[in-house]
Formats: sequence, structure tokens, C-alpha cells
Amino acid sequence: MARFLIRSLVSTIITMLLVSLALFFLLEAGSRDVTVRILGVFSTPEQRASLSLQLGLDQPAIVRYGNWLIGNDWRVQRKIGYPLEAIKNEKTEEREWWANVNGQLTRWKLEEGVLIALLRQSDGSAIEQQAETSWKTIDDQENGANKQVFWGVDTKNNAVKWVKGEGKEIYILTKAGMRKEGDGAQQYIPLTKGLLRGDAGLSLQTGRPVMVTLLPRIRNTVVLAGVAFLVVVPIALLLGILAGVNEGRFLDRFISITSLGLTATPEFVTGVFLILIFGIWLKWFPAVSVFLRPDAIFSDPKIMVLPVLTLTAVELGYIVRMTRTSMVTVMQSTYIRTAIIKGLPYRRVVFRHALRNALMAPITVIMLHVNWLIGGVVVVETIFGFPGLGKYIYESAIFGDFNAIEAAAMITVLIAVVTRLVGDFAYTLLNPRIRYS
Amino acid sequence: MESQQNIKKKNYSLRLERISQSLRLIFSSKIAIIGLSMFVFWVVLGIVSIFWTPYEPNATQFAQNLTPNATNWLGTDHLGRDILSRLMTGTQVILLKTRLPGIGVIPGGVALWGVFGSLLLGTVLGLNAGYRGGWTDQVIMQFLDALIAFPVIVLYLVVISALGRGDLVVILAITVTGAPGVARLARSLALDIRTRDYIRAAETRGESPWYIMFKEILPNVSSPLLVDGMLRVGYAIFAIGTLGFLGIGLPPPDPDWGNMVNEARRNIFSNQLAVIWPALSISTLVIGLNLFADGLNEEINRFQK
Amino acid sequence: MTNPTKTLRKNPPVLKLENVSVAYKVRGGEVEAVQDVSFEIGRGEAIGIVGESGCGKSTLAWAVVNFLGRNGYVKRGSIHFQGQNLVNQGRESLQRLRGDKIAMVYQDPMKALNPSMKIGEQMKEVLTVHQKMEEAEAIERCVKMLQRVYMPDPMNVLKRYSHQLSGGQQQRVVIAMSLLNNPALLIMDEPTTALDVTVEATVLDLIDELRRELDTAIMYISHNLGVVSRVCSRVAVMYAGKLVEWAEVENIFRSPKHPYTQGLIRAIPKLGEDKLGSQLYPIPGRVPAPNRRPDGCVFHPRCDYVQGICRDKKPALRDVGDGIMVRCHFAELIDPSEWEPPDAVEIKPEGLKSEIGNDAALLNAVNLKTYYQVQGSSLKDLLGLNPKRYVRAVEDASLEVVPGRTLGIVGESGCGKSTLIKTIIGLEQSTAGSIKFKGLDISSSLADRSEAVMKEIQMVFQNPDSTMNPAYTVGQQIARPMIKFGVVPKNEVRQAVINLLGNMRMGENYYDRLPNQLSGGEKQRVGIARALATYPDLVLCDEPVSALDVSVQAAILNLLLKVQRKYGTTMLFIAHDLSVVRYFCDEIIVMYLGQMMEKGQAEQIYAPPYHPYTEALLSAVPVIDPGSHQKRIRLEGNVPSAINPPSGCRFHTRCPRRKLLPNGGKICEEQLPPWQDMGDGHQIFCHLPEETLCAFEPVFTVKEG
Repeated sequence: MARFLIRSLVSTIITMLLVSLALFFLLEAGSRDVTVRILGVFSTPEQRASLSLQLGLDQPAIVRYGNWLIGNDWRVQRKIGYPLEAIKNEKTEEREWWANVNGQLTRWKLEEGVLIALLRQSDGSAIEQQAETSWKTIDDQENGANKQVFWGVDTKNNAVKWVKGEGKEIYILTKAGMRKEGDGAQQYIPLTKGLLRGDAGLSLQTGRPVMVTLLPRIRNTVVLAGVAFLVVVPIALLLGILAGVNEGRFLDRFISITSLGLTATPEFVTGVFLILIFGIWLKWFPAVSVFLRPDAIFSDPKIMVLPVLTLTAVELGYIVRMTRTSMVTVMQSTYIRTAIIKGLPYRRVVFRHALRNALMAPITVIMLHVNWLIGGVVVVETIFGFPGLGKYIYESAIFGDFNAIEAAAMITVLIAVVTRLVGDFAYTLLNPRIRYS
Repeated sequence: MESQQNIKKKNYSLRLERISQSLRLIFSSKIAIIGLSMFVFWVVLGIVSIFWTPYEPNATQFAQNLTPNATNWLGTDHLGRDILSRLMTGTQVILLKTRLPGIGVIPGGVALWGVFGSLLLGTVLGLNAGYRGGWTDQVIMQFLDALIAFPVIVLYLVVISALGRGDLVVILAITVTGAPGVARLARSLALDIRTRDYIRAAETRGESPWYIMFKEILPNVSSPLLVDGMLRVGYAIFAIGTLGFLGIGLPPPDPDWGNMVNEARRNIFSNQLAVIWPALSISTLVIGLNLFADGLNEEINRFQK
Repeated sequence: MTNPTKTLRKNPPVLKLENVSVAYKVRGGEVEAVQDVSFEIGRGEAIGIVGESGCGKSTLAWAVVNFLGRNGYVKRGSIHFQGQNLVNQGRESLQRLRGDKIAMVYQDPMKALNPSMKIGEQMKEVLTVHQKMEEAEAIERCVKMLQRVYMPDPMNVLKRYSHQLSGGQQQRVVIAMSLLNNPALLIMDEPTTALDVTVEATVLDLIDELRRELDTAIMYISHNLGVVSRVCSRVAVMYAGKLVEWAEVENIFRSPKHPYTQGLIRAIPKLGEDKLGSQLYPIPGRVPAPNRRPDGCVFHPRCDYVQGICRDKKPALRDVGDGIMVRCHFAELIDPSEWEPPDAVEIKPEGLKSEIGNDAALLNAVNLKTYYQVQGSSLKDLLGLNPKRYVRAVEDASLEVVPGRTLGIVGESGCGKSTLIKTIIGLEQSTAGSIKFKGLDISSSLADRSEAVMKEIQMVFQNPDSTMNPAYTVGQQIARPMIKFGVVPKNEVRQAVINLLGNMRMGENYYDRLPNQLSGGEKQRVGIARALATYPDLVLCDEPVSALDVSVQAAILNLLLKVQRKYGTTMLFIAHDLSVVRYFCDEIIVMYLGQMMEKGQAEQIYAPPYHPYTEALLSAVPVIDPGSHQKRIRLEGNVPSAINPPSGCRFHTRCPRRKLLPNGGKICEEQLPPWQDMGDGHQIFCHLPEETLCAFEPVFTVKEG
């Protein structure tokens, strides 16, 4: 058993890695030039190059992948020479990076060739003073001359490399457009903790950290999908078993055909019909999930009824069919024949002998099917305007907000993969052949 | 020469026999016939629409939101377009034609090409994993696990946000999302077939792995794969509809059923029937394919017994 | 034997079938799988039902317990169990009988036990449901019953799942379970077919013993006449859904009355007979499908004595004296001793080589080893901390095959015989040792062999249903190796295939047939034709007849003999049926757990001196010769794992002769035995001294009186 479980665990980890690679590079390839997207097609090549430098895009993709996944502060702080700390700004709720210079949180900026240190005070504000830190001298092999270099943290959460006397001309993106400025750095490394450590970067759409928006969305979706799941599974298993033991009879035909109809009807159709019937004609439930308060799912559960019903309808049919097939196969097996020939009452044959074996297949499949459920969530949330993960992905995809898509997609994959792992565990618990080998 | 001709004739009659055998298989199942006729109904409507539709599908030439009447059999939509003409034309992109920018229009709908792609990719991967086993199997399965982990719609969204819209992108997305399922099926079938003695026989006469996979194994796994493919065409139509509904499906100008549902939904207060027609179209087509596949499966199982 | 049955007759029978017909509803009508069967079983009596596949044996068994599925039913007749008619009984009353008064055991024990329930749970519910017995009492009774079937450590077995037991143990559990309620009737459907001979022998002993002790009536279904003769007193022979003969065991074998029974007996090689001194006669044709049964006597198309009346009139089951019932118009007139083989029957060719050739060996293997690596399941294994473990499937095998001769390899499942030939043909990679073919080293895997070698070594497989690719016609499949190796020019391939088919006694019309249009025997013929398509020097036969009915088996064996004579083919022949191997092979090797135990001329193997394992094997074979007496030696325990084989002699853990050595045979545990030469190439791998081995009595002795 240990072997089986460790295998699934290892496989899960590899899967996540592969997925993250695929996701990163697919979007990397698809995004072509992000700077054009941000600056617009009328920007000049110099402006784009400058932005590209400031975004750290001059580094190789594999390095950026590493930054995105596991962060770079631990790597960059060796260059700076001081430990780096990420602190949440109470006002903006955003993360700020500071270097811890002997107990004093410090950032730097270059003004007119002079290095200024910003010292963070306990109330979050900063005091400016001329930096005591000295420039370091390094060999510039290209020019054969020595250069004075300083690595520090700037006010935009980048680790930057300034060179004394060589303030670069850069374009700074402001709300009013591009502003040209001197005192630029030679190299920018946008600091990040990485996705694994909960930092998904900034949303291109809102400019705010992805995680701040994403977390409540995830909560909403987990509640929605979780409720749907809890409603679907018992009903579907029951119906599937009923159909399976009555194979070929009227009840079986009825359940099978109904569930076929349900699986073959897309979520958006079911959703629209449900809105039509319950929202518009009968007016029993709200047709749209309007969140008047962030925790509306708990204070006003009525808004969840139609989304849950829509999700239930599609999933129900699939699991019913699956369970039915499994039950039919088990009921035809030799050991069920043995049980009947042993003269056991029919109920005992079904419940003691068949059920457990018949549930093995559907349970793994249900767990595998959770990513279908998530797919459905995207549609359902869009129809009902339900502020969840699915709608977030959809909106980010439409906008081309890569950081947001990457983070959100990784989370959906994580959910799918973890449920699959749970399915594997459940399977080993049900199946003694794996448990004892 | 004469004997050569005879052989050809015999091969021909043999093939005819096989075809008639599979036809008998289809016609011995009521469910399969019902399913097939639902599918054929839409194919015929689609073909007709290439040459003739009641009205120009994109022309806004009628009053808005008409209920069904003698002129517009299924009524009109919120822009005053004839719904029947739009439904008929909508079949084309799904089942009958694919628009490739720069190349033109090729026969075979997006759903069909997408499923063909996933069958092709899935079969190659699955047969290799199943027949060769060992490391090949591990690597392929791991790769497929990663693909399967993506929720389908999310994968579509990612692909589309990376590559933009277009028929080819949708085909690619269908291929990628369908291939793992096909591969798993092909693998499990190959795992079974590879234990057969005729595979040993082929190995002992030194046949190459590719010969064994494609000449010895494939013909014996093709019918379950094809039945599975039919189901997948259903799923693909389903997915295309969903993408259309989300507004990121097949690009205009051809009407798209999913998008029709979406547009009609926004006007649901004034015209409820406009939602029902395209919704019904998708459902009947998917149910038809499901029934056909179910019926065939049942018959094949019975036949094998 | 005759007296007890006669006294039993006075008691009312436990089971009485009268004119039972069973029909299945199928699309477009119904077929009668069983027609008009009548017989009875008394208390403590075991009756056998024999016949080839498709003759309705199992259907009859299912009819008795009324478990015919949704589309089957008893169409006519009555089935009386203890005076009560079982036909059309309600579900409830059937439930009370099943598992309580009537119990059933069938073929595959692995499938018969629920994989996700503990053995104890499955056993005790028979008691708690039927007798409302208390839990503790039920467990106690289960333990007792398991002890009774000689199951070691029964308490522990109750806590296990079925997959943790061996095949023999599983079947014991199933038998114990069926006997828990002391049933009046026990139906056994091929209960030992899936088991090895030595295990089969112990299970058969057990059944016989339990019948005596518990006075249970047994209905024993088997295709194997030898097995039936060991446990049953009377036999019902079935053919195409009809009971054709009903008689006591001795009568069936000594003087079979029905032409079908006679044919069956002529088709089976008797243990000890060989191809030089005797002849197998297959029954021509095949068993008709239930919906294509001929008019008149069902057997008439295959009968050698057929007359006009046989085609028109169905014969009735008649009493012809001595308690023998026969369904034949001419039962009294037929004398089997005057039977002459008709022309249509394939007959063994004349002029087989009998003397040992002095030619150089065609195939020569020396100290061949084949190991497979196994994956452990513990955490340590996964991390690679434990040493690698191997299944030692073949250990130090050496053999030599002389051109034109046949070498047989026998042994039970897991003895390594299949791995050995797979290694020879290259499907498995050898771990050590050498294989030489015509002096060329071929110990490399298939991929490294030259086409010339591949072409010369071909294989015939066991399972007729999987030997042919269902997607291609007969012609295409035979033609493929010809084209691949360029044996004949392309435009002559078709003719060459047709010629070859002709040699297999199959006409040109088979060329375009698909495998699903062929019978098992025909498929096997095509398999042989495909192997011969490249005119190989060496053909490896992997149990080529073990999946076939006896009448077909005879035809295939005759065909192989003919092929061998015509093409001078050398053969390596694997089988678990010792009679078949004895009949067919010139030299024989006996294997146990990967190791060769004895080798020599066929007749040397079957007579003393024996290796103790060979002796046990021979005494376990179910034989049908009522005139001889068979020594009774039974092996205890299970075959050990080949991952961790016993030290020294691998057979020492189960050897019944080991105690003949000083110190209780300590040497067997410690040292590999020597190959002892018994003269004339007969070698035995054993520590026992030659004198002791030679002093063993023969396993078979002629019965006195």
C-alpha cells in the first residue's frame, strides 16, 4: 500500500510541476511582447525596451519561471548583502520589500547620482537620508576600468543594480503616460516570494496583488462546488445503484435516459432554463447571484440555489451512468453468483457483497471528475454573475491578465490533483487487494 | 491475371461483407438507430444550408423577437434575424467545414477535426504506453496525468488567451483535452491485447514495435476507439457551445449555437423561445451521438459474446 | 463397486431429474441447451457428468439450483430434490434451499470469492443466515470445517482476503464453505480444472472422503473422464444437450455402449502409451450449436455406424441391462472392439523415427538461467534500499534436442517450462548460460537475432482463441511470415498458403475466412500452419492441445506427428498432461520450481527409477484405466515462491522420500543434489542413492483379479 500511495504522491508532485511549466511557457509563448500590451502599439521601441528592463524580462525564461514559482528574494539577498523582508502595507494591503540593514528596514533611491536611503518607521512612513552604504568596486572586464556598483531595493519592490555615475535613462510608467527620467538602474529584478509561497505577483488588470483578490473568490467557489458535490454524490450513487440492480427494467431505463438527457445538456443551457423557470416565471430564487456583502454566501444562501442546481444537473447524469455500469458489471460477476447460490437474501447480496465492489470504480472516477466540476463552475459563475474563481479566470483570460490566469489556473489544477489523490486513498481503503500488497 | 482479378474481387466482396456486418450491427439496435437518425438529421440540415437557407442568416430583415409564424418558422431573434436559418448555418462550422486563415475552407467541422486529432494523438500515445510498458509507459502516463489535471474549460481559456481565437485554436484545444482520455482507453485495450498469443507470434518473427502496434493491435481496438470518438464528438460540440456561450468560441461571421444562447439570454425577458431553439439543437445533437455510441457498444458487447 | 449402488437404490433419491429440458430465450426465438435429461442421485453417491464443451453440462447444474439468468428457464420436465419439485419454485423457498441443503462449487475459485470481504465473513454468513447461528458458534464451525479440508492455520485464514491465498487454498475454502450446512446435495462444476495435477489429486481425495463421511450426494461435472472415474460411481455422458449414456464407471470404460462414448475413449491417450505403439482416433466433425442440431439422432453426422433410421428418428434413452441406459438405435449391435477407423479420420503417419539419432544436437542449452527482477512494495524497496530481488524462473537448465525428435517438458504451473521456451525463442532475455542453435549462439534477445535464425525457430501457442489475430483472414496470417522472410516469391504466396492449408486438412475456402468463423481446432491448425509457413527447423509447442476438447486434441496431435514426419521438424513440446507428453515425445524433462529434476527417454521417465517428484506427479494423474492400480503419493504444502526458493534441492520442502536419507535428509537442505546417471541418458537430480531410486515400486501396477 505504501508503495501505491507514495507513487500517487510523487506522481502528483511531478504533475503539478509539469502543469506549472506548461502553463508558464504556454502563456510566455502566447503573450509575445507584454510591453506592447501594457504600453499600447503606439509606444516607441525605447520605451518598450525600458519597460522590459524594469519588468526583469531581460532575464532568461527559465530564471523567470523559477522566480514565478519559488520566488527570488532568497537568491537576490546575497547580492544585496542584507536579508530581505516583505511587509504588508497596512494602507494598501500590498506587499512591500525592504532590506533589513542591521535591524533598520531600508530602501534606496538614486537622485541626481546620489544614493538616498529610505528608513522605514514603525508607522509605515519612511525617512530619507543620504545613504551611508558605500559603493562596491568591481572589475569591469569589458572596459578594463573599475566601476562603483551598488545593489539595493528600490521603492517599486525591485532589487536593482546602480552604477555610480552611470544613471541610466529610463521611462517610467505613470498614470499620465510615460515619463522619461535619469538615475535609472542597470538591472532590475522584480522581487517576489513565488507562487508556492503565496505570492502570485501583480494583476495586470488592476495593478493589485493577485492573491488579495483571488482568496475570497476561491472561498466562494469552494463553497459553491463543495455544496454541489455534497448534493450530487449521494443522490447519484443511489440512483446509479438502483438502476444497476434493476438492469433492463423500467426503472433502469427511466433513470438511464434521464441521466443521459442531463449529461447531454450543457451547463449554460440548464442554467438559462433554471433562470427562466425559477427566477423569472416562478420567482422563487434570485436569477443572479448578487453579492451585497462579501460573505453573502453565508448570510443569504438563497443566491446559491440555482448555481448549485445547475452544477448538480450535469454532474448527476455522469456519475449515475458511471455507477450504473459498475453495478451492472459487479452484479454479473462470479462472486455475486456465489453469494446468490449461498442462499443469501437479495438485500444482503446487494448491500454486503455488491455495493462495496461496485463503488470502487465510481469513487475514483468522481474524484477524477472534480476538474469537470470546476470547468462547469466557470460557466455557472459567468451565467449567474457569481464572484468566484471560475469567473475570475474567465475575466482574466478575456483581459489577458497572465499573472492572474497563472495563479488561478494553478489553483484549479491543485484542487483537481488533490481530489484525485484523495480518490486514490479512498480506493486503497476500499480495495483490500491494494491495501494488503 | 485472371486469378489476380479473382483475388481482387474476393477482397472486394470480403470488404463488402464486413461493411454489411457492421451495418447489421447498427441496425440491430433500436437505440443506435434513433441516435444515428438524430445525428444524420443535423448533418442533412447542415448540408442543405450550404446551398439554401430560408433567409440570409446574418441579415436583420425582420421585426425583432417574433414568435414562430408562417414566414419565420422558428421566429426571429433580438436583431430580427431568422432563427431557423441561423441554426442551420450553425451546423456547418461544427460538423461540415473548418475555416483556416490563409488557406481557406476545408471540409469537416471543427468538432470532427478536433476529435480526429485527439484520436490520432491519443492512440499513438496510448498504444506506445500500453504495448511497450516500462519507462515509456511511465513517462507517457505522467505527461497525460498532467494534461488531465487541467479542468477542460480552464485549459481552453488558457489556450485561447495565449493563442487567440480561431477555428484552428478550438481544434487544437479539443485535441489536447481529448487526447488523454483516448490514450487511457487505447492503453488499457493494448495492455489486454498485448498478452494475446498472436502478438507473441508477431514478436517471434521479428516484427517491429510499430508494426505490432499499428498492424496487429490497432485493428482490434479500433471499434471501441471509434465508439469513444463518437461520444467525444458529442463532448466537443458541448465544449464548442460552451465557448461560444462565453463569447470566446468560433469566430464570426458564421452563427454559433452557444453564442446564440448567450445573446438570447440577454433578451430573455422579451423572447424566451430564442434561447430554447439553439439549446435544443445542441442537446439533440449530443444526445443523438450518445445514444448511437451506447447502442453500438451494447451491440458490440453482445456480438463479442 | 456395484453392490453399494444397488443397496442405495432402495433409498429415495436425493435428486431426481425427469425429462428436463432447459431453454434460453435469445433474439429471434429460443434455443434448448439441454433436452430431455433424466437421472437420479442417491444419498452418499457421486455421479459424474462428462462431455465436451457446449454439450450442456453446466446448464444442467444451473438448472438444478434454478439460476439460469433472466433469459433461461426449465421448459419441460421436473427436478425433484428430496421429493420436492424445484421447477418454478419461488425466490424465497429457493433461497432457503440454496447454500443450505443444496450447495455448489464451480470452476474458478479466485472469481468465486468476493475480493473485498474477508474469508471469515463470507463463510460464517452461510451459517448465520440459514441457521440463525450465533457469531461465535459460527466462527467455531468455520474453523472446524477448514480443518476438515486440511487447511493449515484456519483462524488466520478467516481473517484474510481471497487474494492472499493460493489457488488450491481458495478452492478448499470454497469447498469448506459449501459444506458448512451439511448439504444433502453438492453440485461441483469442474472444481479442479484450474488446479495443478498434484493439487487436484489432493482435492479429489478430499471430495471422496467428505462424501463418505457426510453422506452427501454429489453431482460432479467435468470434461475429464479420469477425474470423474476417481470420484464417481456412475457417469452420465452428455452430447449436444442430450444424455447419451448413463452407466457405472467401470462399464463406461470397459464396454462403452454409445458410439460417442467409444469415440471419446479412443481419442484419449492412455498413460504409458506412446506414438509408436498406439494410435489416437479423433471424432470427426464438431459438436453442433444448440440451434443447429440435426434431425434424428444428434450424433448421427459424426457417427461411424450411421444408418438411415438415425437420420430420421430420434432414439430414446433405453435400458440395455446392467443398469446401463443408452440413447442409440443400435446399442446392442455395436461392438467397439471390431471398430475400424473410417477413411476420413486423420491417422498417425507410418514410419516415425524410433531409434536415437546420432546427429549433432540442433539446439543446445547449457546452464541457462532466466531471472526477472521484482518490484518490492515496501517503502525501502521504493527507495532502493533493499537488495534487488529476482524471480528465479529458470535455474541452470541444460538440454539438447536432436534433429527430427521431440523433447517434452513437463511440470506444474510455475515450474518454469514456459519461461524456458520463451527464453529459447528470445521472448525473454536469459540471465546467464548459453543457448546454441545449429552451433550458433542465440542467447541474445530477439532484437539481436538474425532473420535467418528467427525463421528457423517458430512457435505454436496454447490458446486457440488468442493464437490468431481476429482482424485478419486465415490466408493473410499464414502469408505474413512467408512474405516477411521471403520464403516464397510474392506471386506464389497464395498458392503456398493453400498448399499448407491442404496439409492441415483445410480446403482453399478457408483462405478468406476470419478467425471468428473457425472452431477451436481449426484455429489451432491455422496456428500450426503459420508456424510452419517459414519451414522452420525447430517448432516450440506451448501446450498446443490443453485448451481443446479431447476429440479435437487427438486430431491436432496426429497432425503434429504428420507434420514432423513430412518436414522432419524438430519439436519442443510443453504440456502439463503427462499422458499427452508420454504419447507424443521421445525425450522428456521434468521441471519443478525452475529446476530440472529428471531427464531421459520417455519410457524411462514413466518407469522406476523415478525422481521423487516425478513419482508424485505420476501418482496424481487421473487415469481412466480401470484395470490398473495407481500408487497414492500426495504432496503437502504449497509450491514455494520462486523469489526465495528453498536452499539445496528446491523440492526438499515437499519431498515425500526425503526421510529415506540419513539425518532426515539434512543434506537436501544444504547441498544441490548431483545429476545421477541411470544409464542410457536417463538422469536424476537427487541425493538419494541409485539403489534406493531403483527400488521404488512402479506407480502403476496391473490390478489383480
